[in-house]
Amino acid sequence: MTLVQAGLAAEGATTFVAVTAAILVAPRYRARTAGAAIASIGLISAATGVSVLNGGEGSIRLPVALPTDPVMLAPDRLGGFFMVVVGLVCAVAAIYGISYVSGPATSRTSWSAMAVFVLALQLVPAAADVVSFLLFWELMALSSTALVLAEYKTRSSVRSSALWYAVMTQFSFVMILLGFATLAGAAQHTGFDAIAHVTPTSGAATFGFVLLVIGFASKAGIVPLHVWLPRAHPEAPSHVSAVMSAAMVKMGVYGALLVSLRLLPDGPRWWGLLLIALGAVSAVYGILQASVASDLKRMLAYSTSENVGLMFLALGTGLLLRSTGVSGASDASIVACLLLVAGHAAFKTTLFLGAGSILHATGERDLDRLGGLGTRMPVTSWTFALGALGAAALPVTSGFVAEWALLQSLIHGARTQDRLVAVVMPLSVAVVALTAGLALLAFVKAYGIAFLARPRGPGAAAARESGLAMRFALIISACSVVFLGLVPGPLAAAAANAAGLSGAGATRWWGISLDGVHALLDPVALMVLAICLAAAVAVVSIRAARRVPRRRVELTWGCGGVRVSPRMQYTATSYAEPLSRVFDDALRPERDIVVTHSGESSYLVERVQFRQRVGDVVETTLYRPAIQLIDRIGLAARGLQNGSINRYLGYSFAALLAVLVVVSL
Amino acid sequence: MSANLYDQLVGVSAGVLLMTSVLLVWRRSLVAAVRLLAIQGVALACLVAMIGIFDHDVQLVAVSVLVLALKGVALPLVLDRSLVRTGTLREETPLINTTASLLAVSALTMLAYLVSQPLRALRPGPTTAAVPVGICLVLFGFLLLSTRRHAISQLVGFLVLDNGIAAVAFLTSGGVPFVVELGASLDVLLVVLILRVFTARMTVKFGAADLDELKELRD
Amino acid sequence: MNASALVLATVQVITMIVLSPLLVGLMRQVRARLEGRAGSGILQPWRDLRKLFAKEPVQADGTSWVMSAGPVVLVASSLLVCVLVPLVGTATFPLIPDDLFVMVSVLLLGTVALALVGLDSGSAFGGMGSSRHMTIAALVEPTVLVSVYALSIPVGSSALSAIVKGRLEDPASVAAPVSLLALVALFVAVVAETGRMPVDNPSTHLELTMIHEAMILESSGRDLAWLELGSWIRLGALLGLVGSLLAPWGIASSMTVTTVFVGLVALVAKLIALGSALAAGEVFLAKIRLFRVPELLAGSFVLAFLAVAASYLVVGG
Repeated sequence: MTLVQAGLAAEGATTFVAVTAAILVAPRYRARTAGAAIASIGLISAATGVSVLNGGEGSIRLPVALPTDPVMLAPDRLGGFFMVVVGLVCAVAAIYGISYVSGPATSRTSWSAMAVFVLALQLVPAAADVVSFLLFWELMALSSTALVLAEYKTRSSVRSSALWYAVMTQFSFVMILLGFATLAGAAQHTGFDAIAHVTPTSGAATFGFVLLVIGFASKAGIVPLHVWLPRAHPEAPSHVSAVMSAAMVKMGVYGALLVSLRLLPDGPRWWGLLLIALGAVSAVYGILQASVASDLKRMLAYSTSENVGLMFLALGTGLLLRSTGVSGASDASIVACLLLVAGHAAFKTTLFLGAGSILHATGERDLDRLGGLGTRMPVTSWTFALGALGAAALPVTSGFVAEWALLQSLIHGARTQDRLVAVVMPLSVAVVALTAGLALLAFVKAYGIAFLARPRGPGAAAARESGLAMRFALIISACSVVFLGLVPGPLAAAAANAAGLSGAGATRWWGISLDGVHALLDPVALMVLAICLAAAVAVVSIRAARRVPRRRVELTWGCGGVRVSPRMQYTATSYAEPLSRVFDDALRPERDIVVTHSGESSYLVERVQFRQRVGDVVETTLYRPAIQLIDRIGLAARGLQNGSINRYLGYSFAALLAVLVVVSL
Repeated sequence: MSANLYDQLVGVSAGVLLMTSVLLVWRRSLVAAVRLLAIQGVALACLVAMIGIFDHDVQLVAVSVLVLALKGVALPLVLDRSLVRTGTLREETPLINTTASLLAVSALTMLAYLVSQPLRALRPGPTTAAVPVGICLVLFGFLLLSTRRHAISQLVGFLVLDNGIAAVAFLTSGGVPFVVELGASLDVLLVVLILRVFTARMTVKFGAADLDELKELRD
Repeated sequence: MNASALVLATVQVITMIVLSPLLVGLMRQVRARLEGRAGSGILQPWRDLRKLFAKEPVQADGTSWVMSAGPVVLVASSLLVCVLVPLVGTATFPLIPDDLFVMVSVLLLGTVALALVGLDSGSAFGGMGSSRHMTIAALVEPTVLVSVYALSIPVGSSALSAIVKGRLEDPASVAAPVSLLALVALFVAVVAETGRMPVDNPSTHLELTMIHEAMILESSGRDLAWLELGSWIRLGALLGLVGSLLAPWGIASSMTVTTVFVGLVALVAKLIALGSALAAGEVFLAKIRLFRVPELLAGSFVLAFLAVAASYLVVGG
């Protein structure tokens, strides 16, 4: 029994324990036992992933009564990498959930669904053939739908969000099923190793690739298949949102990596271009929507869309450069993609858990009603700040290292005579730069409006710091953001190992070096330098403070206006207003101004009402017409159903006859 | 049992099965339909028993007893009881008239022989020669289902369909395990019982068991 | 730890701390003279700093530690930029790449600190300045990255010191049209990032036209001193970078006393030239409307992009 086999089996057993605990234990202890069990599932999975990355092997055959080739779990190194990332995210979220859940989310259904969800998340990367992959994928989808619906009694928007989520998830499942079916048919076998022998330039491979990319892109939240993200993530309980955003969308990225690197390596150039195009559009659109969103969780959901876009961009660059022959930069791109995966998992978990703390303490998700939480919730404030630093890719965090790696690979990538690459690389650099800039704005807005200055509403004024488990989880994830930023070497080495490349490694065990593009970065040295400089400045400042101490006054200066109330502070909507003007065509906000004149004269204004709504452009231009079309078709198809049983039986009979005729011909 | 005798007996049983099904499509009397169904069940049971005796398979003989009990006795009895309740003893207005039904029967028979040709080429023998009959039963059953209005006629069609499937199963693969056969038979019994209750309620509600009345129940 | 790199870093940091207020004083003086005023002298910014350090900082209720820590972070980031940018010499630390993206990120750290100070002040003007500042920073970033990328193509590396060294060794590349396009784009980006005309008027008194000033309205005493000094050092470092790229001659490739001295003199000369040019331009330019700024930045981005595309399609890799 190898370590890997033991690990996988232990996960299954722990899930069973977790589900039993969720169902049988009394409500007072349910959260603690179920949460602890789920956290251990995550930790076991992470340990299994680490052993796989170190070269461990092992497979478990699944007892599934299907007339196909053997169904088994045998994680390869790429899967192992994802198991580590996803396992740790789930563990932290489960610990958070112990303190966080209240009300309907403490039900038996929620906790057992959470256990099943976490198990399915760990086993998707471990699948070694089509059937087991699809099995656990669907399990993941179903359990997450149940979790999204956890609070459906408290808010009516939960139901419609869950419906959108369920439909999009099933759509992605169907696409993946069709894609895998095509590939398995071409390979005459359902195992991934067999499919790897299919020629990438054949028709079946192309068709399969496109279908699979569509399916995985939908799950990952790539524009235009992202419409479920900003609906489902805010409505789910916060620890579930964290797992969905930091771990589940990674399954889409894992799928894309699986298809591009393992199943159909050495594909034609346009595959890389397709991924780059999807990634670029998604990155820019995602961060644009995030910048103008005033609902905190909606903003984080769109930011996930942006990050996944960057991951697809990195992967696409890797494929494009590989097909053009620039292997050094290509390896660096793929390593950058995996670094983005790990980095994003770290900071997105922190941010969502922080948002959950805010929601828990204030009852508000709307940034326009928050404020002043920095003094009332110090731990949440610090951890959210670190997560926001990571999301904005500022030094020294995991996001910074990942974007640095991506930009290195893009800049050094165009070293050929190829005109296409010569145009695509600078465009990609520009896209990455624009998203980095907009991410900066979005997260400064989120942190500044929520935590600084004074409370804009009663909920924020009454906020108290969160419970022990929540704080613990927040601190762990924030520390991981900083840790991955300071010590990226082992992570980069693991990423290169996972993708089977040699292009990256560690210098002096903590710095990162991308050998393929001759770039290296030692964040610790940078940090030390920064601290030296800051310390020097701080010393001068402190010495000045001894001579001239600070004085506290009641009112802000505000240029002489005496009554500067908290309502006069900038809100999140106003913060993003210049940006929404600049990108008016892309965002198409709906603005309504209603002016009520006073009765006596139409020159005197009694009341002015301003309403602004920034909806999702993709939803209004693409989805609503499609839904209306399908509605019309459905209405027309009603004619088939005229009530006569004979006719219905006649349909089946006709179908049987048709099949027989076709078979006999 | 010698091979020759076996050949002939299988042929006879298959012939009886085919005959009864054609008569079921032809005749409009419901009482006759139930009797014909009983004969069909007995013929099927004999067929299974013969295959079992020739292949020295005890399980198959046990299955044949089950088939006899269920399809030859129990189900026709249940149908008889429902007939008494409904009152009408003839199928008044089928969707297609008798001539057209019989023409359809001949077309379906040709199709059945066409479809089973590869099967017969696979393993030539007396049992596989009788496979087209089984497929005919399936198709005739479907025909009855989609063209008859009375609930009992449709039930009869359903049971003919089931007989056909069972016949094909026994003829091609020597039958299915006892447990599976038991399960399938129980299913069929259940369906018939449910439909019997339905028919009774329909008669009470509408005064007749004519399924056309149900056409009103749509959105 | 490389000794020459350490020495160079110390020299650059101390030089910029000393020179930046003088640079700003020079720019104000040039502007004053061109406008027909006497001006307050080149040393006035230093005098202002001394005065501010002696005053007590006043902090309102409802503000937090960001008001006192933000300015320190801004100054530290500006000093870090001085270390990373090749102003006097091109010696670098082996493990800290003075890579383009690292420099831009450190710069943005300072931008973020300033924006948070503006938000923490709790007044409407602070938020307004912060919002405009971050919008411009977001739109400037693509231009900065792409223009330096364009300059890095002939050299093959995105490390700033490598780019400057490459241009030093190949004088023809300095005058190449591609390089000039990229430098113009970079200059526009620097103007936007540091809040000079025509993007922002650093000497305005009208709050609704402010971008940078609005964020520091609430700060006083040493907080304000650090904020001003940090912004000046940023301006100095970025102008120094433009100068090094535009005219790399004089930069110390090897670390000896003479070369460093020559590099210092060259840096002073470049800063004087660029600063005066900028100040003179400010006299003749009006501040453009805030919603015209994206057009300006888009134009500079197009220039930078053209520079990149041209260098690939002309040089061929």
